Amino acid sequence: MSQPRVFLVDDHELIRAGLRAELRGSVDLVGEADEVAAAIEMILERTPSVVLLDVHMPDGGGLAVLQAVQKHSIPVRFLALSVSDAPQDVISVVRAGARGYVTKNISGPELVDAIYRVDAGDVVFSPRLAGFVLDAFVNGGDEGLQAAAIDPELDQLTPREQQVLRLIARGYAYKEIAGELEISGKTVESHVSSVLRKLQLSNRYQLAHWASNRHLV
Amino acid sequence: MSNNTTRTTLLGIPQRPFRRSNTDAVLGGVCSGVAIRLGVRVQNVRVLFSLFTLFFGGGVVLYMALWLVVPRWGDEGSILQRVLRQRSTLRSLAASAGLLVLVLFILNLAYHRLTTALILSALLLSLGALAIWRGSDKEELRHLQGVLNAAPVVSAASARGWKALSLRVIPGVILIVVGLQVLSRIGGIWGGAIPAFGGGAALLVGILVLLAPWWLTNVRDLSQERRARIRSEERASLAAHVHDSVLQTLTLIERASDDSAEVIRLARSQERALRDWLFAPNHATLNTHELTFNQELRQVQSDVERDYKIRVELVIVGDCAADESLHALVGAAREAAVNAAKWSGVASVSIYGEVEPSQISLYVRDTGVGFDPADVDLSRQGIAHSIRERVRAHDGTVEIVSQPGKGTEVRLALPRARATS
Repeated sequence: MSQPRVFLVDDHELIRAGLRAELRGSVDLVGEADEVAAAIEMILERTPSVVLLDVHMPDGGGLAVLQAVQKHSIPVRFLALSVSDAPQDVISVVRAGARGYVTKNISGPELVDAIYRVDAGDVVFSPRLAGFVLDAFVNGGDEGLQAAAIDPELDQLTPREQQVLRLIARGYAYKEIAGELEISGKTVESHVSSVLRKLQLSNRYQLAHWASNRHLV
Repeated sequence: MSNNTTRTTLLGIPQRPFRRSNTDAVLGGVCSGVAIRLGVRVQNVRVLFSLFTLFFGGGVVLYMALWLVVPRWGDEGSILQRVLRQRSTLRSLAASAGLLVLVLFILNLAYHRLTTALILSALLLSLGALAIWRGSDKEELRHLQGVLNAAPVVSAASARGWKALSLRVIPGVILIVVGLQVLSRIGGIWGGAIPAFGGGAALLVGILVLLAPWWLTNVRDLSQERRARIRSEERASLAAHVHDSVLQTLTLIERASDDSAEVIRLARSQERALRDWLFAPNHATLNTHELTFNQELRQVQSDVERDYKIRVELVIVGDCAADESLHALVGAAREAAVNAAKWSGVASVSIYGEVEPSQISLYVRDTGVGFDPADVDLSRQGIAHSIRERVRAHDGTVEIVSQPGKGTEVRLALPRARATS
């Protein structure tokens, strides 16, 4: 199987150097950029298969890159990378179309694994992202707001999806989830993909609130 | 000599020539000019002019006259000379003078004995002011504009244009005049409380109308000042916090640079402290007995990471106030995490907590060596026992799932008290 063609976007030279060192040999690094405008131009030119995207950058951050590149409908997938695990950052990039999200303190092998999975069309849910989604869909903080679900197909998780998310939040790998629930790995993947779709399309108040409420830090 | 751009008073030494000051000027710099010329203190000159003003406005008229005929320091001619040279200015001045005299004459027909010294002074002053306004050079005009903008009645309105100013000043002046008239006749023709009240009210409203914008600007400036002060205080507290925590930790990291485990531990604990400080909605209310479920678990995370070199992946869904039984649950989770740190042999342990409508669940999981629950040594059994006892005392459930080589998971659950929800 050929290596995924990876493009790095991060405004910190140190982080990029670290990522390069960790990814060298495991993936095909086709380029990197340290600012939004250059990133958009080079991604369109080199058409990588996976873009590792820093959420926090000047001039609009990862969100701006994502939105600009998606207008051109080229087959590129985004994996968001962030130091922050504040929900408003994560939710906004995922809703904009990122296929997954990892924090910068992820280990090298884990990151390589995440890149391969995103490249294969799968979704990378960190335990924390799973927690956010559960928080927004199931608990939702204020119980009164749960009644505000407009589209039940999009605004609610099935019991199975909730089970899968809870296991991710508890630190289970996909394979372990499959074993625990006695379903196939493919089924786990399809549940997670379905959750991602709901996360991106749902109009639930908590999601819209998080996505619009991006604080600068 | 006249190339000097400034001149200052030399006490006891009179200086020639007599010029208005261009640096120390409240209005036209006449008083400072006199002080420099005579070698006396400028304050004394100002007080004398003010006192002299009490005699039918004589001080002001004299001031105006000197303003007109004495050149400004550094200028060629006086204002009067400049005005006399400009035909158009002269014409408009003459027209204004004629108009004022006419108005005075008509008023004199209506009210007798109006042409007092005071009124004459006022007439001369208006003409003088007009001449100064037309005859001053640009630099002096700018200074005068500054004086006007700082003056109570004119200030805020002049920014919005003269139309707004006249809309406010004319009714204000009329109200004050009417109020004074009414008050001055009390006891004479009318007498009684109602006119007194009405007159007083008119006077008050007139003064309010005239001074309100000026007062409002002052209030606004004050609140802006307060906001700026709060901002700078916040910056100071941020700087203090960064110094106390981040810089200290960086020094510690430098010193411990040989011990990579220690460096990781320091970096991690600093990261969490900083993040809590930045994102915690209310870091002021962190007193120990009022912690929520969320905060208690974070405390567990930071304690375990600090004391045992292991990473704690913490995910929490929902939050609620912590009561006695929740303390027990969190305490059990802490023991489970410590247990994982000591025995699992892996670098991280996951804690997942969820507040559900009917119960609170906590999962502590590692992917380490695991053990056979049927065959455990005494030390571990003790821990398992104490975890079980703690939670069961509060009607909770405990399940410990482990298999050699496949990690360990401790599953804790506690029913929520109906009364609170």
